[in-house]
Amino acid sequence: MAHGAPASEIDLQPLRTILEDRYNPENYQDSLELIVQACQEAQHLYGYVPKAATEAIAEHLGVSTNRIFGLLTFYADFLTDEPGEHTMLLCHGTACYVGGSQKLVDHLDLRYDVTSGKTTRDGTLTVQIVNGCLGVCDLAPVAQLDHHDYCGHLTVESFEGLMETLRSESKAATGEDSDETD
Amino acid sequence: MRLTNQEAFEKYASEAHERWTSKFGGDRWVINVGISECSKAKGALDTWSNLQLHLDNSGLDYELHQVGCAGWCFAEPFIEVIAPDSPGIVFQNVVTDLVPELVQAFKSGDFPVEHAMGVRGDESFKGIAPLNEHPFLKGQHRLLFKRAGEIDPDSIEEYIANGGYAGFVKALLEMTPEEIVHEVKESNVRGRGGAGFPAGIKWESGRRTQAWPKYVVANSHEGEPNVFKDRRLIESDPHLVLEGLMIACVALETPHGYNYIGGEHVLALARFQHAVDQAYELGLLGDNVLGTGKSFHMRVRSGGGAYICGEGSALMYAIMGERGQPRTKPPRSVEEGVWRRPTVLNNTETYAAVPSIITNGGSWYASIGTEQSKGTKLVTIQGPVARIGVAEVDMGYSLRSLIEDIYGGAKEGYTLKGIQMGGVSAGPLRMDQLDVGIDFESLEEVGAMLGSGGFVAFDESICAVDFARYLTQFNRYESCAKCTPCRLGNKALLEIVDKVRNGQSPNDVAALIEATSENIIDLSLCGLGQVAPMPLLGMMKAFPDEFEAHFRDGTCPQGQCPVSQPRLRLEPVAAD
Repeated sequence: MAHGAPASEIDLQPLRTILEDRYNPENYQDSLELIVQACQEAQHLYGYVPKAATEAIAEHLGVSTNRIFGLLTFYADFLTDEPGEHTMLLCHGTACYVGGSQKLVDHLDLRYDVTSGKTTRDGTLTVQIVNGCLGVCDLAPVAQLDHHDYCGHLTVESFEGLMETLRSESKAATGEDSDETD
Repeated sequence: MRLTNQEAFEKYASEAHERWTSKFGGDRWVINVGISECSKAKGALDTWSNLQLHLDNSGLDYELHQVGCAGWCFAEPFIEVIAPDSPGIVFQNVVTDLVPELVQAFKSGDFPVEHAMGVRGDESFKGIAPLNEHPFLKGQHRLLFKRAGEIDPDSIEEYIANGGYAGFVKALLEMTPEEIVHEVKESNVRGRGGAGFPAGIKWESGRRTQAWPKYVVANSHEGEPNVFKDRRLIESDPHLVLEGLMIACVALETPHGYNYIGGEHVLALARFQHAVDQAYELGLLGDNVLGTGKSFHMRVRSGGGAYICGEGSALMYAIMGERGQPRTKPPRSVEEGVWRRPTVLNNTETYAAVPSIITNGGSWYASIGTEQSKGTKLVTIQGPVARIGVAEVDMGYSLRSLIEDIYGGAKEGYTLKGIQMGGVSAGPLRMDQLDVGIDFESLEEVGAMLGSGGFVAFDESICAVDFARYLTQFNRYESCAKCTPCRLGNKALLEIVDKVRNGQSPNDVAALIEATSENIIDLSLCGLGQVAPMPLLGMMKAFPDEFEAHFRDGTCPQGQCPVSQPRLRLEPVAAD
C-alpha cells in the first residue's frame, strides 16, 4: 500500500498525547479492541492515516503494524494516502440513488477520473463515496464537505458550481501565499 | 455525585423531577432547539447562535436548551418555545433567517401560525393545532421516541426526571435474573435488526451457557444504506439504549457490556460515550452499583464503515480488532461470541424496548402489536415522499396508511412506483401491494421483508433494472470477500445486469440470473450473502414488463439505462 507523505513531515506529538491520555489498554485484548478507534483519531488529526502514525499506534498498543494495515485496508472509512485540500463524503445510499446520486458518481468518474477514495488531479478534492448512509436523507442527494458542511439536493450542475468555488478558493489562497513571499 | 443505594437514587430522581417541572411555568421563556446530525446538516447550529443573539437583544428573560431529534427530519431545524403560561409550541424549518422575525413576534406575544408545527397537549392554542394531530404524528405510537426531542440527550438528570433508569433499578434490586428473562420472554420482543429472533430466548440461552465472562453487546452499526433509526435514537435518547444494555447485563449476571456504533455516526458516538461517562459519575455504572456489590462496565467501540460488520459474528470480530468477516455457525454467538465467550447480541432498538418492559411488565408490551410481532417498530422512509423522518408505529400498522398518511404520500410532482423493502436484502412492493401490515409475518407473506425498518419510496422515473443494478452493486461492493459464492457470484450478477442495461442481454437471461442467484443464496456463508440477490429477484418479480423490455427488445422504457443514452464523452480535467 502506498503512503503519501514521508514520515519526517508528520508531527506525531498530538497523536502520541491522545494515545497516552486515552488509550491505555489493560491487556492485549484491550489493545486489539482499541486499534480501529486509535486509527480514527489519527485520521481525524491528519485527514488520513500516515504510515508514521500506524507505527506510533502499533508501538503504543503493542500490536503489529501488519495487523493495523490489514484493518485500514478492510474498512472503507480510512484513507492511507494524503487527501486533497478538501474531503467530500458523497452519500450513495438508496435514498440518494433515488434522488440521482448515480449521476454524480458517474460524473466524477467520467469528468475527473475519480472513484471512491481518490483525489482530483489538481489536488482540490478527495471523494469518499459512502455506500451506507449519511442519515440526512431529507437533503438527498447529499454530500458532506470537510466533515462539517452539508451540500444538499446535489445535481451535476450544483456539484460543478461547488468545484468551481473550491478551485477558486484554493487559487486565491495560493495567490496570497506567493504575495507574502514576494 | 455518586448514588450509593436505592434511597439515594429515588431521592435524586424526585429532585430531578422537581427541577424538571419547575423548568416550565415560571416567568422565563424556555426555548429548545433540536440538535442532531440531520438538523445540523440543515443549519441548526446557525439557528442556535442567531437565536441567542436576537433573544439577548430582545430583553426577554430566556433559557436556551439543546434537545435531540424528534424524528421529523422534514421539519428540521425545529425549535420549541415554552412561553410563560403557555404550552410548548413547536416551530418547524426555523432557518437562521427566520429567527429575527420569530423573536420579534414572540416579544409582542405573537406565535406565527404559518411557521408552527403544533402545540403540546391536547388542545389548540392561539389557532395552533395540537402536535398530536399533526398528520406525521397522528398515527404514531411513541414508546422509544417518547422523550426524543423533549429532553437534553446530554443530561442524565433530565432522563431520570422522566422516569429513566427506573427499569434498571427495579431489575437490579427487586428482581432475580430469571424474572427479568421471564418478563422479556413474555413480552416476546423480537430482534429489531432484521432477523426477528425473540430476545428473551436468546437471553435464556445466554444464561444457560456455562462459561465466563459473558458479554452483552448492542449492535448500533447500522450500515444499511437507508436506515437511520438507531443513530437518531442514540442522538436523542442515549440513556434509553444504555439502560436496556445495563438491564441485559443484570439478567446475564455479567459486568461486561459493549455498544458497537458505526464510525460514521459521529454525533451518536459522542452522545453515547457522554451518556456512559455520566452513568459512571452517578454510580449507575462502575463497581458496587447502588450498594449491591455488583459491577457493570460499558465500552463503546466503533467501526470503520463496512456494511458486513452489522452481521453478528462479523461485528464480534470487528470488536476484537480483526477484519469484520463472518464465520460459520454453529457455534452461535450465545455459545461463542466476543473473545470466544458467551455473548448476547441484540439490536439497539431491541435494547431500547427493554426498560419499559421491565417497568410495565412483559404482558403489557405483548398487548401491543400483532399475534406474533409485538410492540412498536421504528421505521424510516426516504425518497420522494412529502415528509421524511423516523416514525414509530405499532407492529401490524398498515403500510399504505404509513406511506400515505404519516409520510404524506408522494412529494409534489412525483408519482410513486413502489417501495423498496428491507434495506438491500429484499425486493420491492408495487403501489398496488401496499395493503399489508408492517410486521415480520405479513411482509414475509407478500415476499417483502421488515428488515430493520428502512423503506425507500421510488418514483416512476426510476428504471427497475437500473435500481436492481444499484442494489446488486451495493451488495457486490460490500461483500467481505471471505466466501467465494458471495464474492464472485455477486460480481457475476452485476455483469449480467450490466449487459442487460447495455441492451446486450445474453440468451435466456432470466434463467441465468435465477441460476446464479440460487447459487449465491444456497452457498453463501452468512445471512447477508444469502439475501444479496433478493433485491434483483424481487425487482424482476414486481416489474416483469420492464425487465422483459430490456431482455427482449434491448430498450429501457424509463430512458435511464445506458442503452437509451448517447455515450457521455467528457474531457478529463487537464493536470495543472
